[in-house]
Amino acid sequence: MSEVTTVATGWGLSFVVVATYALWVVGRGKTIGRELGIGGREELEPESDSSKPADS
Amino acid sequence: MTQVPDSRHMTATTATRVLGTVALVAVVLMGLLGLVVSPADVVQGQAVRMLYLHVPSIWIAYGAFVLTSFSSALFLFRSRHRHDGGRHHDRLAGSAAEVGVVFAGVTLVTGMLWGRVTWGTYWQWDARLTTTVLLFVTYLGYLALRRLPADPVIRGRRAAVMALISFVNVPIVHFSVDWWRTLHQKASLSVGRRPEITGEMYWTLLYSTLAVTIVASWLIVHRYRVIRLEELRDEEALEALIASRLREDDVQA
Repeated sequence: MSEVTTVATGWGLSFVVVATYALWVVGRGKTIGRELGIGGREELEPESDSSKPADS
Repeated sequence: MTQVPDSRHMTATTATRVLGTVALVAVVLMGLLGLVVSPADVVQGQAVRMLYLHVPSIWIAYGAFVLTSFSSALFLFRSRHRHDGGRHHDRLAGSAAEVGVVFAGVTLVTGMLWGRVTWGTYWQWDARLTTTVLLFVTYLGYLALRRLPADPVIRGRRAAVMALISFVNVPIVHFSVDWWRTLHQKASLSVGRRPEITGEMYWTLLYSTLAVTIVASWLIVHRYRVIRLEELRDEEALEALIASRLREDDVQA
């Protein structure tokens, strides 16, 4: 494997690992937020403070 | 009683959205500096660009594990003085450990690829590599322990003890290159020692560390809030179960 291929693979894999983890964390927050009724309030109480979505 | 979920229980606030945006911009700039602006090394050529990911990743993993140990110690010794029974410290320990494991994994992957180019092999059972993989596996075990079903306080205590034991390996990993003869080079930057690198490479490494720190902070804050949501969900489920049992008893009576 050439130096450039190695660098591209290393940076690419690292980006994928961290991005996948970040998406999993945000997605899990959204899912549990909906289960608890936090996300669902958006439709019911659009002007309340708790109407913000549970993700980033 | 379970707390009523409100905006404080969400994983994102204006502050974390700003932090997330800053993290994204910081990573883009880190890519530009590390892959385009900084020069190739005289000896290592283009492969030196792995430095800007590999070194900050392990530093952040160390930092996350320090935070895990500190929070675990507070959970063990100061939880009686807190209104929440120390659960804040337990959540912080868990979220920091998880992020630390992610960055320790990044360190191992980038290190193996870098080793293939510079040493001609992906892996060598020398002191630094062996202690690093041991660190990774130990904290994976810590995360597994946190998922075992048990009373939250007992589970928190077990995890806190394991976090303190696991932390013993952190200084061993860091000083392994000084204590033993290893294939791995000595630390690029050390307190009280002249840096091994200078100029644009030095500044790119420092900047990359800052960028990775911002990303890790954002991840820890979000993971902390998700753990709090998980706790709320479990408490609600338990209360629903108790209420259902009480109704059954009423019907039978």
